[in-house]
Amino acid sequence: MAQISFFSVALKNLKRKTFRTGVLVFAIALLVSLLIFAISFTVSVASSLKKSADRLGADLVVVPVGARGFAEEFLLESKNTSFYMPISIIEKVWEIEGIEALTYHTYLSSISGLCCDIMPTRIVAYNPKTDFIINPWLQESLGRPLQLGESIAGFGTSENLGLGLLDIEATIFDNRFKIVGVLEQTGTGLDHALFMTEDNLKNIIESGKSPLKKGEISIIFTKLKKGYDPDFVGRVLEGEIPEVDVVARSDMGEKFINTLADINKIFLLTTILASVLTTFLVWAIFSAIANERSKEIGIMRALGAKESHIVRLYLIEVLVLGLLGSIIGVLAGTYLSAMLAGSFSLLKNISAGLTVSQQSVIAMVGLLVGTTICVTGAMMPINRIKKMEPLLVIKEE
Amino acid sequence: MSFLHIENLTKTYTVDHETLMGVDNVSLSINRGEFLSIVGHSGSGKTTLVSIIGGILKPTAGRVLLEGVDICTLDDSKLSEFRAKRIGFMFQFASLLPILTAKENVLLPGIFNPGQITDNDNTARGLLEMVGIGEKLDSYPSQLSGGQQRRVAIARALLNNPDIILADEPTGDLDEETEAEIMHLLEEINKKQGVTIILITHNLGLAGKAQKKYRMSRGQLVDI
Ligand SMILES: Nc1ncnc2c1ncn2[C@@H]1O[C@H](COP(=O)(O)OP(=O)(O)OP(=O)(O)O)[C@@H](O)[C@H]1O
Ligand SMILES: [Mg+2]
Repeated sequence: MAQISFFSVALKNLKRKTFRTGVLVFAIALLVSLLIFAISFTVSVASSLKKSADRLGADLVVVPVGARGFAEEFLLESKNTSFYMPISIIEKVWEIEGIEALTYHTYLSSISGLCCDIMPTRIVAYNPKTDFIINPWLQESLGRPLQLGESIAGFGTSENLGLGLLDIEATIFDNRFKIVGVLEQTGTGLDHALFMTEDNLKNIIESGKSPLKKGEISIIFTKLKKGYDPDFVGRVLEGEIPEVDVVARSDMGEKFINTLADINKIFLLTTILASVLTTFLVWAIFSAIANERSKEIGIMRALGAKESHIVRLYLIEVLVLGLLGSIIGVLAGTYLSAMLAGSFSLLKNISAGLTVSQQSVIAMVGLLVGTTICVTGAMMPINRIKKMEPLLVIKEE
Repeated sequence: MSFLHIENLTKTYTVDHETLMGVDNVSLSINRGEFLSIVGHSGSGKTTLVSIIGGILKPTAGRVLLEGVDICTLDDSKLSEFRAKRIGFMFQFASLLPILTAKENVLLPGIFNPGQITDNDNTARGLLEMVGIGEKLDSYPSQLSGGQQRRVAIARALLNNPDIILADEPTGDLDEETEAEIMHLLEEINKKQGVTIILITHNLGLAGKAQKKYRMSRGQLVDI
């Protein structure tokens, strides 16, 4: 038979009122799962925004004035928007000090039925000579440049269009295209586009089915020389060229980040309230426990238990409770985050996902908070009871 | 200097602004290995007195010196150690933990006094056999009779080999035969191990067996 120890006595104490223990574990699990969900949500949105911006590889993005929001939507989420500026802007951008590399895209939205036989898709035409956005991915996926009349699908597009097979033909603005491959997933809004080189645009414009005119482009990507501050160069750019708006890499997704800050406030408020409530519940239950067991505590004191022994005994009890609740909460919260992620458009449009190490850190935070709250709530009643004179509590009935 | 020296000990209780006298200026010297008995009416202050001696109640005034050290001035840690190592309590009230078996109850003081007892199982068995309920090792208090519970508490008081046993009506609800057995046990412990015993009892016959006999009356202690 096992020897008697603080741990075995604490466990026996825990088993005395299983329902009450269960309620407490449940409350802590609820709190922790809420916490896990809130943190997972925030972190996954924030980190995937950053990943997307980094992935684009551009320090500054130049768009027609007023299109800043559209550009972000286009690049970071999967919305279909078109905006245009004359190609002559490029020369003006080159004149700004600090520009090292520059390329541009032209965007089109395909409209099913009217001109095209594919689902509404975003079409990205790029300049294969100067490009540094698409080419690196193309190199990985196809291993050769795209030819005239060829197109490659973004990762998400292939899912949307159901393009399991290669070498499918599609009509886009009255032009036949051969879809020769699928790009690897990038985690940006470009996953939902169809790519082609810009020499195809001539035929598309001639078809007359697109709103695009000759000599129009949508967006300019620039890389800066070492030592140039993107924010500064961006301000110079906007000052010199009134026709454009500039988004620096660090500002990309600003719209989201602001929304996110609001959501965070709500989460923060909810978790604080839930924490206070749970602490109060633990406090109430442990006050009841302390009262019920005051005589036993007095007896243990008379038998030689120090105040610290009493604290240790109850700390074990509350730690087991807290850990149990927190572990259940972490599991439930992680599961919930994964399940509900799809029903939040903020998470659906940007490709969100947490790495294992991010998840482990969040789990640790959940465990820590759950356990800390348990200990905090329980310590007050325990401290009160350990101080009482043993004889007086022993005589209590 | 005597082993245990009690000096002008006073304890008053305050209930609703009224002051009740629990122990009234008691002084007493006890030598190591002595067997004392205290009799007295209900409410005369017997429990209050031994509780102060055992360090589970603070006196209002006076000192309790054990080998010259005033236990009333010890901090919690030292006082608890004093109780764990030197005092064996046998309470007037039911005092077993309901969640623990007889054996676990007997061994409970051991976790507050680590290192003292090594062979848990045999120690507990030996003590419970000594008080005559060796077969109830794994019974819970609720499964034991009042008298059996009392014996478990007595066995528990002996676990840490205390220097002083404070027995507050230890045989209160036991039959005469068992009462005699327990008394015999206490006498044995007193004689063989030299343990100092203070026995509170209403039974004048039992009290008479002690070397020194006292009576408490309204908080005061008198020789008889
Ligand atoms: N916690 C307390 N609060 C107030 N008064 C108390 C308290 N404990 C004891 N008393 C009072 O102190 C006096 C002595 O009580 P004590 O318990 O020492 O008596 P006793 O001699 O042990 O009696 P009994 O033989 O019935 O056990 C009594 O008058 C009692 O009313
Ligand atoms: Mg009494």
